[in-house]
Amino acid sequence: METIIKNRIKQVRKGDQNAFAEIVELYKDKVYQISYRMVGNRHEAEDISQEAFLRAYINIHSYDINKKFSTWLYRIATNLSIDRLRKKKPDFYLDAEVAGAEGLTLYSQVAADGMLPEEKVESLELQETIQVAILKLPAKYRSVIVLKYIEELSLKEISEILDLPIGTVKTRIHRGREALRHQLRHV
Amino acid sequence: MNCPIDTIQLMHKYLDEEITFEEEKQLRVHLDECKECSQHFHELKKSIALVQSTSHIEAPSDFTLKVMANLPKEKKTVSFNR
Repeated sequence: METIIKNRIKQVRKGDQNAFAEIVELYKDKVYQISYRMVGNRHEAEDISQEAFLRAYINIHSYDINKKFSTWLYRIATNLSIDRLRKKKPDFYLDAEVAGAEGLTLYSQVAADGMLPEEKVESLELQETIQVAILKLPAKYRSVIVLKYIEELSLKEISEILDLPIGTVKTRIHRGREALRHQLRHV
Repeated sequence: MNCPIDTIQLMHKYLDEEITFEEEKQLRVHLDECKECSQHFHELKKSIALVQSTSHIEAPSDFTLKVMANLPKEKKTVSFNR
């Protein structure tokens, strides 16, 4: 896999754009998934993932070919997602109740908005609860939890993606797990 | 509550798969006699399982075409036909 990717990258560097399409095909779902779990809706997730690939393409010459490509790419996507969360309007409070909808906060809307009809299986409600719990995590815990438990990456990879010492990643995972436990214990 | 202060730390070490054999034994002995910690541990494991069970989503079908259409044009570019 890594060898194929590296060959494609060499082709892209020589000016072959088509080789980049193959790279996008291979990684689009992973990048989209990271962005979606970070920001919570499909529209923004697509925006961020599109931007991530565009940046990867533009900066392909600064990628260190001796390192794992996915680490570099996920780092771009994670940073873009975190930037997006920071830029959210201050009057946009996820906890605020929506007028006329008792008990329905923007959390549930964000989650519902991200669902496609074919995903509305019997566990829809559970899926929503889990997504809401992930979205309630502060961004610094959310990123480690998504990378660890949804992308199933190693602590070392996560530390490289987020540019944090492994010790910090561990602490954040521990706190993220405790926060999730609070949200999901009664499920 | 007479729980060893580091019991929760041991749970996280276990979940990180970094627990030693001795520590694991220590944790199990405590969990057997402490309902509260046992419950805590169960909830942690359940939360992880729930997050892991969340359905994997896929990028929209026209995703790659869109990326390719937005790339800056380059001199040596071969056009993208698909």
